Amino acid sequence: MLKTVHILSITVTLFYATTFFVYLLGFINGKTKTHIYNSKRIFLFFTLIVHTFYLIERSFVFDHLPITNQFEIFTILAFAIGFTYFLLELLTDIRGTGVFILVFALIFQVISALFIKDEYVVKEVLKNYPLGIHVINALLGFAGISVSAAYSIMYLLQYKNLQTHKYDLIFDRLPNLEILEKLSFYSMIIGFVLLTIAIAIGFIWLPSAFPDFKFYDPKIISTLIVWLIFGTGIYLRIMGRLYGKKLSYFSIAGFIVAILSVALSGVIYSSFHNFVK
Amino acid sequence: MNLLGISINHKTSSIELREALHLSKNEIIDFVPKLKENLFSEGFVVSTCNRTEIFGIIKDEKISYKEVQKELLDFKPIEGITTNNFLNYFSCSAVKHLFKVSSGIDSLVLGDSQILGQVKEAFELSNELDFSGTLIHRLYESSMRVGKRAIHETMIGEGAVTVSFASIKIIEKIFSNFASKTALIIGAGETGELAAVHLKDKGIGNLFITNRTKERAVKLAEKVNGTAIKYDLFKERLNEFDIIISATSSDEYILSYKDVKQMMKKRKGDICCIMDIAIPRDVDPKVKKIDGVFYNDIDSLNIIVDNNRKKREKEIPIINNIIMEEMVAFFSWFNTLNVVPTIKEFRDFFEKIRKDEFEKIKHKLCPDELDKVENMTKRLIGRIMHNPTIKIKKVSENKINFEKSVQYTTVLRELFNLQGHSNDNKS
Repeated sequence: MLKTVHILSITVTLFYATTFFVYLLGFINGKTKTHIYNSKRIFLFFTLIVHTFYLIERSFVFDHLPITNQFEIFTILAFAIGFTYFLLELLTDIRGTGVFILVFALIFQVISALFIKDEYVVKEVLKNYPLGIHVINALLGFAGISVSAAYSIMYLLQYKNLQTHKYDLIFDRLPNLEILEKLSFYSMIIGFVLLTIAIAIGFIWLPSAFPDFKFYDPKIISTLIVWLIFGTGIYLRIMGRLYGKKLSYFSIAGFIVAILSVALSGVIYSSFHNFVK
Repeated sequence: MNLLGISINHKTSSIELREALHLSKNEIIDFVPKLKENLFSEGFVVSTCNRTEIFGIIKDEKISYKEVQKELLDFKPIEGITTNNFLNYFSCSAVKHLFKVSSGIDSLVLGDSQILGQVKEAFELSNELDFSGTLIHRLYESSMRVGKRAIHETMIGEGAVTVSFASIKIIEKIFSNFASKTALIIGAGETGELAAVHLKDKGIGNLFITNRTKERAVKLAEKVNGTAIKYDLFKERLNEFDIIISATSSDEYILSYKDVKQMMKKRKGDICCIMDIAIPRDVDPKVKKIDGVFYNDIDSLNIIVDNNRKKREKEIPIINNIIMEEMVAFFSWFNTLNVVPTIKEFRDFFEKIRKDEFEKIKHKLCPDELDKVENMTKRLIGRIMHNPTIKIKKVSENKINFEKSVQYTTVLRELFNLQGHSNDNKS
């Protein structure tokens, strides 16, 4: 069984590499009436299927969800990014941006595959499935926010290309500004919804799981701040007060706040959230 | 193959001559009977704003391109046109030229997508006028195949190669949903009209036209299902427009930096795309510094046009390969044309002999022997003709043995006197 897990880890990595390569070929080629263009999504779909199978297998073999060390978290992040992008592609049928998003999924998965540890013995709380679902949703939420920031960067890049008349390959291949804004906003919503689920599970379950639980825990506060920021952003966007470049800057700023909050609350402040060794 | 053709196009004549010689559909309908009567057994006429082409199978080997040119100029006399304004083609070169036209690589705008439809219409009209036969029909099918392959297998039609279309392509990189957008065209001349048509094709939500001469604005608005607005009033409504395309012949700026700045204040930061495709420019180029304004003039649009033109030029070798493949296919088919009537006449020749001999002896045979003898004679003839027939067919289908195919059919015809005359083989 352990051998299966190791083989799957390598297989998943190869799937991500192949999928990324197919998206890269499609990006460089640019033609939309080709087998490569049509098969990109199928590659991604099967990659996510295999990855799901890997995560399930890993959970059964080690008797806990893969959330006990950084490198397990990385494989989940890779899945989260791939999954978020897959949803976006399904919703919008925009396939030209995959190469910019999936490269991060590939990087996370490669690092995970290289350094992941096989931990049978972990803190008892980490074997708790509600915690696992809470963590996975939180990671999916942050992945959505990250993808939103990535699209915002592409928006600003395309905006600059248009203003400075730089009509190169990137200009040609990137979608138009309205679509990039839509992609950024949709991924923001996906991230926000999943983060909401993570927070809800946390508030429902955490007080009973942790005796030293405090609502003013740094990680809870920082996550709530991120949640409020993106909730406000989504509201303003719906009300028509935040759009275009402003939305892009907002998304990137929110992403930076999210990264800083994770880093600061994990490193500088002690928290009952510190399970990772 | 006696396919003869003449062509007048942008390579050989000025636009004035091409426009003067352009044949409308009704003119072609009147012209074709003259071609049928005097020159061609079958053919077709393609006439667009940039070319007029006449092709056909000559009735007599004495007919040359001069007679075709004369027929055309007698029908539509044009002053200033000479034989130097025509390109002339025969047989293989005629087929090659037609394929080049259909693929779009012979067009004024390289990779022109309209020409294939225009060639198709020409063939269909020829068919309606009973001016197309087996060969023209086959030529039509092959031309369509070349055109479609050029579109599907290459990128010859990709990217904008005119300034008007390049401006639309840039707008497409800003807005995804044209149906919810409002556009203004300043200047109802040729360039403005082209831009208006492109926007209409893209499904623009609201299209406004303004021009110093109101009548021209009204006329263009009617053509593109837009709305004309008075020239002295359009600035008051400037903030309503997501897209502004200016193409006037004004020597001064029509839109100043201040005009656009005030407009953007009223738009509260909503993006506005300004395409200045006039020479000299209609819009102060300083407007590109205003946040939310995307400004392009002819120079920046020509960057796109030049890049795309170079990309299209890279596709020409691929298209030439396609043309060569289709020419080989076409001429392989053509080769078999010669053989089929020959084989038929060969079979008829032997069948006649068989029937003649059978007639002579059938009264000497009893009824049940009649069938046996008839079947035996049929089998005999069949076996005698089998090898020569197979051999000739095989040689004619082989793409490199055109000369051998001609030799075999010639020898067969001469040896057995298959000239369509009465059979001399009587014992």
